Amino acid sequence: MKVPLRWLNEFVDTGLPLKDLTHRLTMAGLEAEKITAIGDEWDNIYVGHVEAVEPHPDADRLVLATVDAGEHRLRVVTGAPNIAQDQMVALALAGARLIDGHADGQVYRTLKPSAIRGIRSEGMVCSEKELGISEEHEGIMVLEADAPKGAPLADWLGDTVIEFEITPNLVHNFSILGIAREAGALTDRPVSHPLIFDFAAAPSGPSDLVTVEAADICPRYIGVRIEHIAIAPSPAWMQRRLLAAGVRPISSIVDITNYVMLEYGQPLHAFDADKLTDGRIVVRRARPGETLETLDHQIRQLDGQMLVIADAENPVGLAGVIGGLDSEIHDGTTRIILESANFDMKVTRRTARELKLRTEASARFERGLDPNLSRDAAARATRLILDLCPGATVSGFIDVYPNPLEPRPMSMPFSEIERLLGVRYEPAQVLDVLRRLGFSPELDGEGNDATLRVTIPTWRGDVTQAADMVEEVARVIGYAALPERLPSGETAPVQRDSAYAMRRAVRSVLAGSGAWETVTYVTVSDDDLRRLDPNGEQTAGVHPVSWDALIRLRNPLHADRDILRPTLLPSLLAIASDNLKHERGVRLFETARIYLPSDEELPREVNTLALVLAGERAPLDRFEAGASSPLDVFDVKGMVEALLPRLGVSGTQFERIESPALHPGRAVGLFVKDELIGIIGELRPDRAEAFAIETPRVAVAEIDLDALQSVANPIPRDVSAPRFLPVEQDFAIVVAEETPGGDVEAALLAGAGPLATGITLFDIYRGPQIGDNRKSLAFRVTFTAPDRALTDAELGKVRDRIARTLRQRVAGELRT
Amino acid sequence: MMTDAQATIDDMRARAETELGAAGTMDDLTAWERAYLGAQGEVTLFLRGLASLPANQRPIAGRGGNALKNELTAAWEARRVVLSAADLQQRLANDAVDVTLPGRQPILGASHPVSRMIDELSEIFALMGFQTVFGPEVETAHYNFDVLNIPKDHPARDVWDTFYVDLPGEIVLRTHTSPMQGRVMERQDPPVRVVVPGRVYRYEAQDASHEWMLHQLEGLAVDRNITLADLKGVLSEMARQLFGPDRRTRFRCDFFPFVEPGVDFAVDCAICGGAGCRVCKGTGWLEMGGAGMVHPNVLRNVGYDPDVYSGFAFGLGIERLIMMRSGVDDIRAFAANDLRFLRQFARAA
Repeated sequence: MKVPLRWLNEFVDTGLPLKDLTHRLTMAGLEAEKITAIGDEWDNIYVGHVEAVEPHPDADRLVLATVDAGEHRLRVVTGAPNIAQDQMVALALAGARLIDGHADGQVYRTLKPSAIRGIRSEGMVCSEKELGISEEHEGIMVLEADAPKGAPLADWLGDTVIEFEITPNLVHNFSILGIAREAGALTDRPVSHPLIFDFAAAPSGPSDLVTVEAADICPRYIGVRIEHIAIAPSPAWMQRRLLAAGVRPISSIVDITNYVMLEYGQPLHAFDADKLTDGRIVVRRARPGETLETLDHQIRQLDGQMLVIADAENPVGLAGVIGGLDSEIHDGTTRIILESANFDMKVTRRTARELKLRTEASARFERGLDPNLSRDAAARATRLILDLCPGATVSGFIDVYPNPLEPRPMSMPFSEIERLLGVRYEPAQVLDVLRRLGFSPELDGEGNDATLRVTIPTWRGDVTQAADMVEEVARVIGYAALPERLPSGETAPVQRDSAYAMRRAVRSVLAGSGAWETVTYVTVSDDDLRRLDPNGEQTAGVHPVSWDALIRLRNPLHADRDILRPTLLPSLLAIASDNLKHERGVRLFETARIYLPSDEELPREVNTLALVLAGERAPLDRFEAGASSPLDVFDVKGMVEALLPRLGVSGTQFERIESPALHPGRAVGLFVKDELIGIIGELRPDRAEAFAIETPRVAVAEIDLDALQSVANPIPRDVSAPRFLPVEQDFAIVVAEETPGGDVEAALLAGAGPLATGITLFDIYRGPQIGDNRKSLAFRVTFTAPDRALTDAELGKVRDRIARTLRQRVAGELRT
Repeated sequence: MMTDAQATIDDMRARAETELGAAGTMDDLTAWERAYLGAQGEVTLFLRGLASLPANQRPIAGRGGNALKNELTAAWEARRVVLSAADLQQRLANDAVDVTLPGRQPILGASHPVSRMIDELSEIFALMGFQTVFGPEVETAHYNFDVLNIPKDHPARDVWDTFYVDLPGEIVLRTHTSPMQGRVMERQDPPVRVVVPGRVYRYEAQDASHEWMLHQLEGLAVDRNITLADLKGVLSEMARQLFGPDRRTRFRCDFFPFVEPGVDFAVDCAICGGAGCRVCKGTGWLEMGGAGMVHPNVLRNVGYDPDVYSGFAFGLGIERLIMMRSGVDDIRAFAANDLRFLRQFARAA
């Protein structure tokens, strides 16, 4: 909420400099978000008196105005249609910085004397736009007759606007007076109130002026009928305050209702009484099928849960939200009914939401306004109307308020303050704070057993229990005054989260392997998923999901990206593609959740690891000649193979798989028993192209970390200190070309038994020595026994067993 | 004959000494050793041939031969020390490289700055007895709002612009990490001390300071006699750990429906020292998050007696903390994952 400081100062004099005032309010919960000075830029601009206006000798549309601003008396050339003798105006001298009235937006220009159609103009009479007050540039700004001639304009019109954030609990501060009351309480200064009309002096009735049929959602309705009104622009001072507060001036009556809303926080509405059938107000629920054309020229479909203001027949306004167009105040309006009412917060909120129509009025009602505010606000508006519209009279007044809201008593142990704040305040200090806030506090008893009794004013609907009262005490004394300490007492049981520990281990190993962790958005589009598999009935990835079972957002930020991702790969591939615009090679990974359909209320969120490797394996350096070879399936598989033992994973196998996004000849699955928990391979080239990745190969992996965790053991068991030297032996094994190397290695290890503690494939040979369609795989195996030095005889037996196993399992022959 | 043996010895000595003096390399030395002292060396063969000498010459030849062997062995050893030192010098000289050239670097990656900040906070809070736990990102409105004293049709809900998930019931992308307050308290009795890091989602347009996907770290402590002073102590300690021992914290009243009293906390701007600058928007303070005493309605909602137990809760914006500490000026950089951005955070913890 924008608060012009001069307006605020009318009601409270805190004696504080601006900076201290905004600091006090901010610390107590009313945050001053922004402070703007009006008139800071107004150097060389003065209040001037138009002494004479003469026609320009050479231009029909221009006039010569002689303007007296005390020390400065100038003749200026102007085209303003509204300039007239005896006006008080804003006179800018050469050197003044003004906004160009003809430019879009705020373009500042420094004023220089110039000749217009042969006549020298020494200065300029300013429009509101040129001064930055509003967008108005049709004519010049005309000041009040009592504006002090010769004074710097900033002294007369300058102001400071403080913009406060009004949190949802602070409807009582959603007004100039509300903020004045808060400032007064914080500084212990009195708050004055504006002049208001006394309804006792007005005729009461007629009783059918207002009928409230929906009293359950309209606790109060005041109608004031005012006649003999002549609509005119509101006075300049009111227009300026409205503009400073961010409200566009329209005409006297509308401006007054807005002015009082800003001043009191009570939204008001004025109906043209002659547009109401039978001149009556009926407050009721909308009837099915009813419509209303609202002030913004929209025809609104109403429903039975909406509260409307109707005349004898039709709705003329949406209660607490917006008025109807038909009964709008217009230039010919002479009789009005002024509404000052209280509407149910939930109903108002629902209506505003249904119609997507947030207004200054609905923003206040939906936070729960005090019904006791309505009468003062009505009286203030009536007073302003009578003051500003000569001849206006009050001809009717009805206040329907069957169940007046009373201040509520509350009591609480005084010790509650110390229990929640951790500090004991003196009762006198607490009572003083609560008195300033209007809670009429009393203390019963002494010490720890004392009871604090307060009366909660009706405007403090946000205060309902002891904790609220404790906050009132704390915020006024200041949170800064509270001590700081660490919690004592029994500690809570603490346990490490094993899934988090594993994710940290994964990140650490992969980062050490050259990969960079990414954090990517959780939504993907259908197109993103189709890039992985254009035609599949299920999505590609470690956990395929049927297209019709994908979990989607109802209100995505980007209409097409509405799917909660069932795979991390598209997001990571997009990041890889972006980075490859400036990198020669990338190794990226992410550990994040994927979202799978489930039978439970919530989707199944699976911690997942994805890897993408593409481009050059090593940076250009002087050690290897030429460009590096491209990262491929063995880079990503190797990374996974290096990772698994670091996580203590055992019992996994790699087997060839087919996966829709992956190159059929370069895809391998990671299995636990028969369950696929990871896919590893290279993207099919056409898929890579769909992600705009141009590297020759794109190696990817996606692994279910939760499943991996079930076979991980971060604690090594049966660790022995080595005492005997290992023995290395090489085995060259000839097998048929189509025999998978993984099977050969598995057979070799099976034959070697537990003495084999390490194995490396170091050569694959094909050639005439071993025959067509055959290959020779050379492994180096390390043998170690924990308790003895291995003998040739023992290793000879192992070698025999290996030869046997290879023959049986893979039809392999040991070469010697 | 006596002369013969002695003459042979003298001759061998003379030649051996001359040749040893001429041996300039280790190879020369090895050849010399083989020629005189090796298994087929002259001196060795001479001594081995003693038996074939006439008996009267044997003692002279034996003594003289052995003496020569000892002499030559000693001389060889002395020469070897000299030559091996020279040889080592030569090898070192030949091996020298230009060590100002770059080395072979291992290829290293790094964790994302968001992960690193979460790890760091998790450790800081672990030191203060807080356990790190995780919760669902797709959440029920019940835990995201209702339990937290944010009823349906209340304007407080507007503060959290929410993504709704197309599933039966009211399912949302969690707008904060606070839903875990309810989940944690429902499954255990006090005392509770947890922190909950994770992703949160806000339905709002992106710009340099707004992002729809963020990370938060929630903190919750509930027990008898937990006070606002404890909250101040814990958050100030965290700020000192994160930003340095000289940082000051500011606590002011603010509103969040699930706390009362409510707190907004800030740390003084390290860039300008509190004088006001671009980063702190001239205020001298950088807001770190919201906090407060757990609202009695929340305690009631999870079955805790608010007259017996009290607690505090806080929420930290992870990206915001990183931006404050490292001077990042565009929050969108975190999800863009440009390696040129990520590399700047790569420091070993």
